[in-house]
Amino acid sequence: MNFDINTIVYILEIIVGGLLVGIGVHFVPVGGAPAAMAQATGIGTGTVQLAAGSGLTGLLAAGLMMSVTDNLWLILASGAVGAGIMIGSTMLTGSWIYAYAVGVPFASAKVTYDPITGLSQPPYIAPGTVGHGIPTVCFASGLIGGMMGGLGGAMIYYPLYLINGNAALSAMFAIGIFLVNAVIASWNIQGTIEGFHDPKFKKWPFAFRACAIASILLALASVLITGGA
Amino acid sequence: MSVGGGGGGAPSAYDPKKLRMYGLVGSIVGIYLGSILNSALNTEVFSFVGAIAAIFAVVMGANSVRRICAYGIGTGVPSIGMLALGMGIIAVMFGLSVAETMGFGLLGPIITLVYAGVFGYIIGVIANKVIKFNIPVMEEGNADLSMAGALAILGWSFAVSGTLGYADIVNDVLMTGYIAIIFIAGGLAILHPFNACLGPDEKQDRTLVNAIMVGGLAMVATGIAALATQGLAAGLLQLIIGFALWFYFFKMYYKLVKRDASAVVGTGLLPPTVQ
Repeated sequence: MNFDINTIVYILEIIVGGLLVGIGVHFVPVGGAPAAMAQATGIGTGTVQLAAGSGLTGLLAAGLMMSVTDNLWLILASGAVGAGIMIGSTMLTGSWIYAYAVGVPFASAKVTYDPITGLSQPPYIAPGTVGHGIPTVCFASGLIGGMMGGLGGAMIYYPLYLINGNAALSAMFAIGIFLVNAVIASWNIQGTIEGFHDPKFKKWPFAFRACAIASILLALASVLITGGA
Repeated sequence: MSVGGGGGGAPSAYDPKKLRMYGLVGSIVGIYLGSILNSALNTEVFSFVGAIAAIFAVVMGANSVRRICAYGIGTGVPSIGMLALGMGIIAVMFGLSVAETMGFGLLGPIITLVYAGVFGYIIGVIANKVIKFNIPVMEEGNADLSMAGALAILGWSFAVSGTLGYADIVNDVLMTGYIAIIFIAGGLAILHPFNACLGPDEKQDRTLVNAIMVGGLAMVATGIAALATQGLAAGLLQLIIGFALWFYFFKMYYKLVKRDASAVVGTGLLPPTVQ
């Protein structure tokens, strides 16, 4: 392919997309295995599964919008909303199970008062656990994280599609870029985080730097591929 | 959560360097052999060689998952398997596409391998230096993982499409969506063995036999895909060989489980009687 100003724009878009994915992971309330047993706050699965789930939904939503229009802003919005809906419904149905099946009150162990509702948290934490369920602040944080992931996924997919014009190839390539950034970010938070109120959230600059380096390498590779046919 | 193994590194009966040599040479030679046989004899029945070649790469990948995760990475073993396949798919597409653009289609696997190795090593350096993991085997382990992921995807893609041409792989594997099967089945083959066997009593031979077993299952999946893309003979051959591999190594795995378990007892029929 010929190298021009558009190529640089594509590279920048992919890098920004990768960074959005990496930072977005820090917002999602990932509880891991302890949360699956209602012994920690958050959704009871791993970072990569959640990030990949929301990001891929965003990718699909963006791809669908892209088949109708080529307006960048509409595509990005569609990706963000798609991923937001996915992570929101995951948290909502997860909450039903925590509330009605497991029977735990929602409480965060990382803050004394919920930053959004202002409600006191420590009295509701069962002894021997580090919080349980998905409190309001975690839900809000998760929505932000999911939307950032979807925005990032759409932002990676859009330039890839413009470069090679092959939807399947662009989607798989975007999934690859997405997974690399999500795993690096999840290594940074060591597996579990509650959201933007968690002390671990302050570690995001490390993930920013790591994802920037990885995304640059991935972006350089992705502008060189062709559509095949 | 990866809790098994502690911080001391995994004890191994087979040297990682030897396994890496076998993995790389086995899979590269296998992929080229399958490709040359297919094009020289103008047939597609040798596609199964690519699927077997991928199993060499899977064993190498499973061993490096085992080495890294024995230190405990905090995010669970699946995350590293997904990373391996994420790096692998980018390397494969990049390698095949660049080779095709340069006019040397046959160089594809080599370019793939080089990009995967370099990229994996850089990810390992980032993990140690920027994220501050301080795991001594992180760099070479990640390079191994990335190369294993790339060669596994390449081997199975070849098994589905029957040629190494970029356009054919895009049409037969990507556009049809079989890449998703390869992605998940290949990811399982690399990440599942250690995820299943981890713990203080984890033994290398048991983990690696499990890897070959899951590789055989993945070969059954690519065989079904090959039925649709290459026709009955090539697909069925792959399916049968994959099933035979799975069956043989499942028996072997069960033997090793019985060897390592303190006791294997029956639990009786459900529902349990109250005592």
